[in-house]
Amino acid sequence: MTPDEKIDSGSLNHSNDSLFVSDFCLPFLRNAQNADGGWGFHPGSESRAEPTCWAVLALQASIDAMNFTAIRDRGFQFLRAAQLADGSWAASPEVTTGSWVSSLACWVLLADPQSQQAVAAGLKWLCDDWPRDSSPWRRFLARFSSEHKISAQNDSFRGWGWTPRTSSWVEPTSFALILLARVPKEARPPGADRRRELARRMLYDRMCPGGGWNCGNPMVYGVAGEALIVPTVWALLALRDEPNRTEFLTSLDWLEKNLHGVASAGSCALARIGLEMCGRKWPAPEATFADFYSRNAFLQNIPVAAWTCLALCKRHEWLTGVIPERFPEYANA
Amino acid sequence: MRMPDIALVPSFQRPASRVAIRRAASYEQDLATVIYETLREFDLPVRDKTVLLKPNLVGLDPLGVMNTHPYVIAATRESFLRLGAAQVLIGDGPAMDRDTEAIIESVRLREFAGPLARTFVDLNVDEVKRVALRTRASRLKELFLPKTVLGVDFLVSMPKLKTHHWAGVTLSLKNMFGIVPGSCYGWPKNVLHWAGIDRSILDINAAARPDFAIVDGILGMEGNGPIQGTPKPCGVLVLGDDPVAVDATCCRVMGLRPEKVKYLNAAGTMLGHLDPEKIQQLGETVASVRTPFAVLDAFRGLREPSERVWN
Repeated sequence: MTPDEKIDSGSLNHSNDSLFVSDFCLPFLRNAQNADGGWGFHPGSESRAEPTCWAVLALQASIDAMNFTAIRDRGFQFLRAAQLADGSWAASPEVTTGSWVSSLACWVLLADPQSQQAVAAGLKWLCDDWPRDSSPWRRFLARFSSEHKISAQNDSFRGWGWTPRTSSWVEPTSFALILLARVPKEARPPGADRRRELARRMLYDRMCPGGGWNCGNPMVYGVAGEALIVPTVWALLALRDEPNRTEFLTSLDWLEKNLHGVASAGSCALARIGLEMCGRKWPAPEATFADFYSRNAFLQNIPVAAWTCLALCKRHEWLTGVIPERFPEYANA
Repeated sequence: MRMPDIALVPSFQRPASRVAIRRAASYEQDLATVIYETLREFDLPVRDKTVLLKPNLVGLDPLGVMNTHPYVIAATRESFLRLGAAQVLIGDGPAMDRDTEAIIESVRLREFAGPLARTFVDLNVDEVKRVALRTRASRLKELFLPKTVLGVDFLVSMPKLKTHHWAGVTLSLKNMFGIVPGSCYGWPKNVLHWAGIDRSILDINAAARPDFAIVDGILGMEGNGPIQGTPKPCGVLVLGDDPVAVDATCCRVMGLRPEKVKYLNAAGTMLGHLDPEKIQQLGETVASVRTPFAVLDAFRGLREPSERVWN
């Protein structure tokens, strides 16, 4: 009986999330790996860097990780092969420019001893990629534009964009910060620490008035933007080394208060990761992951299945784990 | 497979467009019959074809004020199936939030349209194909667009009737921003903002022009749309075989001048008809359903004389 048939027949244990992960999510991910070693966003679709990263992280973090070593290594191989000449990763194979996915790819490949040069090149690309909207020249020009009055944000704080030379947004900035926090200081490219500081300030500046984050528009035309689960979790994870800051605590409170509105497995999984990693207790859920699956089959989304696995893994080394001790290649790249 | 080349035809070479305005006071009435009967009048080539409905799903919306109403989507899907379509998919790529499943759950789409696992396509994470832009209205030379959008036989844009704080109005042409995949361009699709919203709207619609448009104007939004505006009951559905003509008609219903909407004015030269003389009006007249919408001060120029400004 396939996992899908088990779900349909009701024979899969709906009440135990851990069993749901081991009986359904992990086999779902394992079976969805393509021949080239990568994963698409859905089973059978062409491999792309982002879903490959989430799948590798999930398999690596699982209790059965030893059984997935070969699968994981093929995932590493796919990611190395997908790197562009400038050190970045594109969002899709046909795209020829780098993207925010570069942070995620470096994050995953940190665990692969064979990928140190690839990671070093990726880190350098990330630290050289400045958002265009917040350049001194742009900020000067903005003084004469009526648009700067529309959204109240400080453009001298700079993070990362989804695509090169555009604007800073919460999620890509958070991914870059999470990555850089895992890289030892001596292995970070020149200027990385300054970028981290600017990016952290940018995240605090973009927090919604009531706590939490949306994509990065806390206030437009004087109206407060509403926070969302997904960007809030990534921002909290990026800022969790300052757990006593008011903004951090306010946002963590926002996340905790808004759990009742979670309507999807993706948000549920990330909310759980966010709360537990930030020291709060995960309350008894109203719906199990199998309940969520029974609604829309996760829309067959590989990252959602991976986040579900990551939410239920026993140890969160995928987020906090020790970086390999020796990084000469990073430093010399 | 759709034929993108037919998107770009000078207006003087196009036959007249047809736009129908139907009264629909609320979402409780029998919309399936209204939509089915109207679609029959258009005699659309959808038998045995794959149809994609592209609603406007902006964000979490438990109150049902910013997204295309699920009943309108479900009734349209049912209507196309009754007309003989082999398959009717629903797809969108929300711009501000990557959790598409949370959005479709918040609008209760599953309750109205049935199981979505094989019906709904999250265009943000669909496989993509490079499309060279021949219009070059913006600085973009190419776009990576979802294979589902490019591969279906019949594409239907299904926006909600709203004003928009950057573009003036968001209707069936602006709604096509949602086909641009977030997995390539992010949440929001910031590259399009840098390329110019008005110009990007032209490029996107030239690359994947909707074959038909159905606007949910039963409850619209005025002022600071598309998210933070004020709900505005308007009590209409606007349907048509030319997205430009449909949008122009909607503007007139909203008390706005379509030729003053930058992207719409440009679209009127190459993607469809703006001129009311070239639009065959079916159903209600514009005058009989006209409901002036308030706009932000920056868009006061869109208003027909004597309409008020939103503050």
